[in-house]
Parts: sequence; structure tokens; C-alpha cells
Amino acid sequence: MTATATRRATGRSERGSEALAAYALIAIPMVLFLILNIGSIFYALYISVWRWNVRSGPQQFLGLANYQALLNDHVFMRAIQNTLYYAVVWVPITMAIGLTLAVIVNGKIRGKTFFRASFYFPALASSAAVTVLWIFLFAPEGLFNSIRGAIGLNGLFEGLGYGPTKNWLGDPDTALNTVIGLNAWTTSGTFMLFYLASLQTISHEIYEAAAIDGAGAWQTFWKITFPLLRPGHFFVATVAVIGALQLFDQAFIAGSPSGDPANALMTMVLYLYNAAFTQFKFGYAAAVGIVLFLIIFALTLIQRRLFGTAPSW
Amino acid sequence: MTAQAQPAVAPLPTRAATVEAAGPVGDRGAKWRRRIAYVILIGYALLMFVPFGWSVITSFKTLPDSVRLTIIPDPVTVKGWQDAITLLQPPLPQLFFNSFLIAIAVTITNVVLGSMAGYAFARLRFPGREVLFLVVLGTLMIPDQLRLIPVYLLLNGLGFTRGNLQYAGVILVLAISGTSIFLLRQYFLSIPRDLEEAAKIDGAGFFTIFARVMAPLAGPAIAAVAILQFQGTWNGFFWPVVILQDQDHWTLPLGLNGILHLSGGFGTNWPPFMALVVAATIPILLLYLFFQRYFVEGIAASGVKG
Repeated sequence: MTATATRRATGRSERGSEALAAYALIAIPMVLFLILNIGSIFYALYISVWRWNVRSGPQQFLGLANYQALLNDHVFMRAIQNTLYYAVVWVPITMAIGLTLAVIVNGKIRGKTFFRASFYFPALASSAAVTVLWIFLFAPEGLFNSIRGAIGLNGLFEGLGYGPTKNWLGDPDTALNTVIGLNAWTTSGTFMLFYLASLQTISHEIYEAAAIDGAGAWQTFWKITFPLLRPGHFFVATVAVIGALQLFDQAFIAGSPSGDPANALMTMVLYLYNAAFTQFKFGYAAAVGIVLFLIIFALTLIQRRLFGTAPSW
Repeated sequence: MTAQAQPAVAPLPTRAATVEAAGPVGDRGAKWRRRIAYVILIGYALLMFVPFGWSVITSFKTLPDSVRLTIIPDPVTVKGWQDAITLLQPPLPQLFFNSFLIAIAVTITNVVLGSMAGYAFARLRFPGREVLFLVVLGTLMIPDQLRLIPVYLLLNGLGFTRGNLQYAGVILVLAISGTSIFLLRQYFLSIPRDLEEAAKIDGAGFFTIFARVMAPLAGPAIAAVAILQFQGTWNGFFWPVVILQDQDHWTLPLGLNGILHLSGGFGTNWPPFMALVVAATIPILLLYLFFQRYFVEGIAASGVKG
């Protein structure tokens, strides 16, 4: 930064060659972004007002009919309902686990590094691997049912209406909640890491002052740590909500593209995939993509209103 | 700094404060809190490891044994692994090859294109720099779902969803991410200018400065980008499931998805399923064990991506 001031005056030709070099260095990414990102938005808007054939392209101009059809489709409404339910349950649960782990690991604890690495461990594996793993664990004869049988919890589950060989991902009543459990399990470690970074921004002096004033651990957490983590909460919540609205892989793998059982795992993105790749309604699917984007964008803005601006770290 | 320490109601020192304030006196509350903390930590760590441990054990079991609650397989067999390697369509080695090919290619393009562009945005002056950098950041706000239909139709129209071009199709979509450029730019900004100035006085051009001076200094950022991209692509599902239509070109995650549907949905042949889960996870696990530090940097960066 300071070197800029002492930079000697450059001639016109040197300026020109600097600009040329820069354009050469950024050319490939910029062309790709122009086509695959910026251009694709306009292309999506264009496709969305047509009945579109995958081979021959536009077939019939529909105006806003695709959007109207979308709002009247009960499966899409189910997809929105499922996705919002998932977001409303999964986000706070996973944030709470991540924050709890971060606060504990941040304290004076032996084996910090080990615990931190362990909690992040499930986030290393692919969504496909962990979903297949959970399908096995929560199958009728899976580990979860075996263990609860072995430790004598079947009576308790029976009381809740869950038989000893319940297929957790195959039953419409429990499939979505099982996916919530799966993703809380894989993502809590990631949120812990975010919160650990945020905890570093709180100065020791505040804690020392609180200790001198005789504040208890519980009080210190709620009166100091929690409110001062506000930028962290915002960051994690934003990342979490955006991720939640894009739920796809786990629902696709556990429920097939059709969101089985009985649309219990139908999410917004899965609906989009289906419209294009099982029903071949590409114009309609493009409209779904745009509506999805608007929903995500609107929710991000609302969050910004609620929590203030993004953190600076 | 709106929060302030509240007046004491119950004077229990915090864990951190125990050492400073309470000193050697010790405190029953703190001791109990520490015990509870360890119970939570150990319990949660078990919850992290047991499912994966179970998948490793199951991969060495026979099918009837795979649904029993026993830790030691009886008998220990590699049949699950053999089935995964031979019976599966496509076979495990082919899935591995496809995953490696795509992940390595995407890693290389992101490192090379990302560091070139990152250097240009950090150091060179050119008309439109601010606007173009906003475009880079803007790409991070466009969700893949919005791009899915137009990008698919474009690639399909150009033949990128058929034959070996399917590999190229996935690589093209993932070739450069705004995150890679952003991360590398930030790192280049943090490098002092002195070295470049010296090279410039020696008459080096911009490309020479980039290749000889700046790129070698960006090692840690390049490592973080490489690991982030390799892991992301290796585990990726969304673009591969859309573009890789032929089984022969499937990556491991698509194979994992396919194996479920091949066998008629839920249930049945668990040992080869679990062998596949283990096989798909081990490369990333090894990467994590060796380069843990860079993983954490990459996670912070991918969070920025949102």
C-alpha cells in the first residue's frame, strides 16, 4: 500500500501493456463467468416463457403461464412446505449444537485438537456416502433399531408409535426428520468451526472484567458471549439458511428423484430437477429456478434486516 | 460493545476465570461443569465415529451377518469388497478413475486460472478492474439451481452430455469458481510489494513477475484452494448427476446413488454398499490427515461463498 505512493510515474505504453497483461490473465475466467453465470440468468429468463423442447428449443410462447402453473401446483407447494420445515428445524438445531461444541472446545479442555477434528470428521465425506450410510443405519434391521432394542428402549419408541423394525427413511412420517438428523450430524462440526473463528474476536479483557464482577459461567455465556457473537450468528445463519433452501443430494439419494416416500422428501430443488429431467418440461423448470432464486434472495434480505450486516472477519 | 458484565447474583467463577480469580482454591461448580463438558465431548465424538466404524466393520461381513449387532464379523470376509469391485456397474476402479480425473482437472484449472486472475486483480491496474471484480463476487450469489436449466441446455446443445465430452462438461462448469479467485487475490494483496519492485527494476515483465515471484510465494493460498476444490469436486453430486448420463462416466457419489436403485431401492446387499462408502471416503480422509490446516482455511473461505 505504501509502495504505491513511491511508485514512479509510468508512461502511456507501460500502462497499456499492464492493462493488456491483466486482460490476458483474467480472460478465461471472465469468459466462463459471462457465459455460465451472467449469461445463464438471462437465458433462464428467456427459456422460462416458452414451452421448450430439449432438442429443438423453443416450441410455443407461453408468457407467464409457466409461473402461473407453478403457483397452482400442489406438489410444488408441498416442496416449499417441506423445504421451509427443514430450514426452520434444521438451522436452529445445528447452530445450537455447533455453538455448544465451539464454546466447550474453546475452554480449557484437554485434547482440543482431537475433538475439533472429530466433530468435523463427518463433513469430510460426500453427501452420497453419508446418505447411503444413514439408509443402512436407519433401515428396519439397521444399527439404530438394533441398539435401541438392545438397551431396552423399544417400549419407549412403541409408546410414540414406532415399531421395533421401523424403516425411518422409508416412512413418510419420519423421512424428513431423519434427513434433518443426518444433516445436523454432518454439519454441526462445520458450524462449530465458524463459531470458533467468531469466538476469537471476543477479547479476553471482557471475560476478565466479568469474572472480577463475579459473573457465573451461565451468566457470562448469555450476557457476554452470546450477544457478542452476533456477527457470527448472522454469518452462520445466512450460510445455513441458504444451504437449507438448496437441500437436494440427501433427498435425491434417500427418496429418489420423485421425493419418495409420498413426496415426504420432495424439496424445491428436487422439484426443479424433476420438472426438467423426468418430465422434460424445461421451460417450466427454468421458471422454477427463477422462483427459487427469488425466494433465496428475499430470505437473505430479511435475515440481513433481522441480524444487521455481515461480519468483517 | 453493548453488553456489559452484570452485577453478580451467584458468584461462580467461569472456567476461564477459575485459574485467574479462584486460583488454587478450586470450585465444585467448575469441577462439575468440566466433567459434563467431557461427557458431552466424548459422547459426541463417539456419535461421529461409530457410524463410519460400523460401515468399515459391515464391509467385511457376510450379508446375513451384516444386520446383526456384533462388532467382530463372523466370518471375516472380503466378499463385500470383491462384489463392489466386480459386480457393480460400473466397477469400483472405473468409478475411482472418473472421480480422480474430474477432481484433479478441476483442482488444476482452479489453481492456475484462480492465481492468474487473483494476481491481476490484486496487483495490476486496468480499466474496469472494480466492475469486473464485482462480477467475480456476484457469481458467488447466483445459486446453481438458477443456472441449472440454461447451463444444461447449453452443454447438451454443444454435445457435452455425450461420450467422453461428459467429463469435459463437468470440468467446464466447475473450472473456475469466484471463491478461488477471491481467496488468491486476498493472499496476493497481503504479500509485500518490495520483491516485485526489485524484479521490475531488473526489467521483468508482468508474466515473469507472476510466474517467478508471486506464484511461488502464494503456496499456502494455493494449497487451500486446491484442497477446497479437490474435496468439493470429489464429493460433488449436483452437476455430475445432471451432466454424467452414462454409467461408464459416473463418479463415486453417482455410483453410491446408483447402487441403491440397482438393487431395487432400500435394503439388501449391505456389505458391498459399505465397501463403497469406505472407498469413497478414504481419499478425503487421507487428505485431511495430512493437510488439516488448509482444510480449515478452505472452510472459512467456502463460508464466504455462502
